[in-house]
Amino acid sequence: MSELDLTALPRPVKQPWQVRNPRNTWLVAAASVLPMLLSVLITVVANIDATLATILVFLPLQIIASVGVGQYIFGKKGRGDAILVIFTIFFSTLVGVLLVSVMFSVVVDGLRAMSPQFFGQNNHYISSTTSLEYGGVGHAILGTLLIVGLTTLFTIPLGILIAIYLTETRGRMRSTVRTLVQAISGLPSVVSGLFIYAFLIAPSFSSHGLTQQAGWVGSVALFPLMLPTVARIAEEALRLVPQELRNGAYALGAPAFKAFWQVTLPAAKSGLITAALLGVARIIGETAPLILTTAPSNDTNLNPFVGQIATLPTYLYGYINQVQATSQQRAWGAALVILILVFVLFTLARVLGSAKSTKAKKRK
Amino acid sequence: MENIATSASHLRSEDVNVWFGERHVLKNVSLNFPSNQVTALIGPSGCGKSTFLRTLNRMHELIPSAGFAGKVLLDGHDIYDHDVDPVDVRLNIGMVFQKPNPFPTMSIRENVLSGLKLTGRRGYNASELVETSLRRASIWNEVKDRLNDPALSLSGGQQQRLCIARSLAMDPEVLLMDEPCSALDPGSTRRIEETITELSDSMTIVIVTHNMQQAQRVSHQTAFFLAEEGNPGRVVEFGKTDDVFNSPIDPRTNDYVNGHFG
Repeated sequence: MSELDLTALPRPVKQPWQVRNPRNTWLVAAASVLPMLLSVLITVVANIDATLATILVFLPLQIIASVGVGQYIFGKKGRGDAILVIFTIFFSTLVGVLLVSVMFSVVVDGLRAMSPQFFGQNNHYISSTTSLEYGGVGHAILGTLLIVGLTTLFTIPLGILIAIYLTETRGRMRSTVRTLVQAISGLPSVVSGLFIYAFLIAPSFSSHGLTQQAGWVGSVALFPLMLPTVARIAEEALRLVPQELRNGAYALGAPAFKAFWQVTLPAAKSGLITAALLGVARIIGETAPLILTTAPSNDTNLNPFVGQIATLPTYLYGYINQVQATSQQRAWGAALVILILVFVLFTLARVLGSAKSTKAKKRK
Repeated sequence: MENIATSASHLRSEDVNVWFGERHVLKNVSLNFPSNQVTALIGPSGCGKSTFLRTLNRMHELIPSAGFAGKVLLDGHDIYDHDVDPVDVRLNIGMVFQKPNPFPTMSIRENVLSGLKLTGRRGYNASELVETSLRRASIWNEVKDRLNDPALSLSGGQQQRLCIARSLAMDPEVLLMDEPCSALDPGSTRRIEETITELSDSMTIVIVTHNMQQAQRVSHQTAFFLAEEGNPGRVVEFGKTDDVFNSPIDPRTNDYVNGHFG
């Protein structure tokens, strides 16, 4: 065999499987555009409601067109593929549109209330007719961070411990614990609030009570809502760590605790961060338990253990029920602030989760 | 079902080039796989022989960063032509993997028939096909009394022969085998080698192997792949198995087949 030229060549821009028969490209393009044009025409001529027409006119037309083209290009197996593709695209677009429109309305209505003082000021001198230049949700942001932070502080370790018990041990109670955690996840938030109210607050009316409404009582009411989310996602994250990895550590003579701490836990880290995060996202907008267990306040209160305290959801709830335009705009503003908080949290966790793993890659 | 035990197809690669991302891993591989012949692909790890095998039935393009240039001709028709559906290619060119991968939720019998179910074929005689396929894979006598047992109840070597039977049930014209014996004991390996020899009467076989003796035992022709530091892999020597092992032209082939490196 003769000696070959050994130099590496650049990769071709287009791979053979990316090249389509131009006739098929035209057919696919026609099948993507024609049903839409046709259904717009039908909708306008027959004067049907647009939403109704999307489902009753556009979807069937699109399926017929795609199945026809699929059959023409790929034969019998093309039909199933076409139906799958159409349903996937159609319903994911539907969900996407719903999601975007919710976000859009919150952002558009919320932005009217936005200003630096909306973040920085509390609600002390504000009446329902005060203009939007005064007052804000600063006290509610702090209250939400305090209450959610307090809940997070004891829920995340406990949730992860439950997950460890479920995945890393052979305890006899595992199936019971798993069932209980699942049962708690079905608990309506208002029931959680009501329970804590009846248990901790209501007895105080008869003078031998435990506590007044306060931030920490809200935290306790949020606990059963957050715990199952954290525990279940953390369990999934730990379960995804391959058994071979643990075996590798055990075969080196590592005690179970160290194998978990140095091998399993780092491998599951990003999943555990996701668990914590989704747990926080689950409770940050919870309203009903806080209405029952905390007393709303117009002032800044940095002590979650004593006195009235405001939170974003209760602030929103308090204002959205009022008739004045400014009040309603404050409520939308609070909704936007909650979205921003969640967004910041998610970004933060993504950055934290990926920072360490890229470092490990570089070392290699 | 017309071509059982008749002439198989003839496969040929022309200037096959493969990339992963921007890395050029195989350069200008042109090999001829005549019908009813067994071709062994040998070479050190990482020289691209498994990758090349995967280009022969378009499994390669399932890897997201994959790049490809060249032609693979099955009976003269390029399987990379834009009118060819990769699904049809894989119907005609079967593949057996390094690690046995029977479908865990199916019984032995269902595993053999899984290809026909997955491609929606009808009008076959199921019990006859199961028996023929298992016989051709030399596993019939071991499993004929427990066809409804789960596939995972078989030993590793039996699982691999079941996977071969599963491919054979589709009656492919070409069978690609990627180190089919590397996870098996010598006894199972011998059984599979006998199977390969019998199958070559009715089909074209390409086998990747790290085992020099195996290449000598089962193949008619051998291609030696090599990737030197920083360069794309390529075929250094290709010819009749006897010639490649006993009178190699290239000194590197000589070193490799005699165990001096790799």
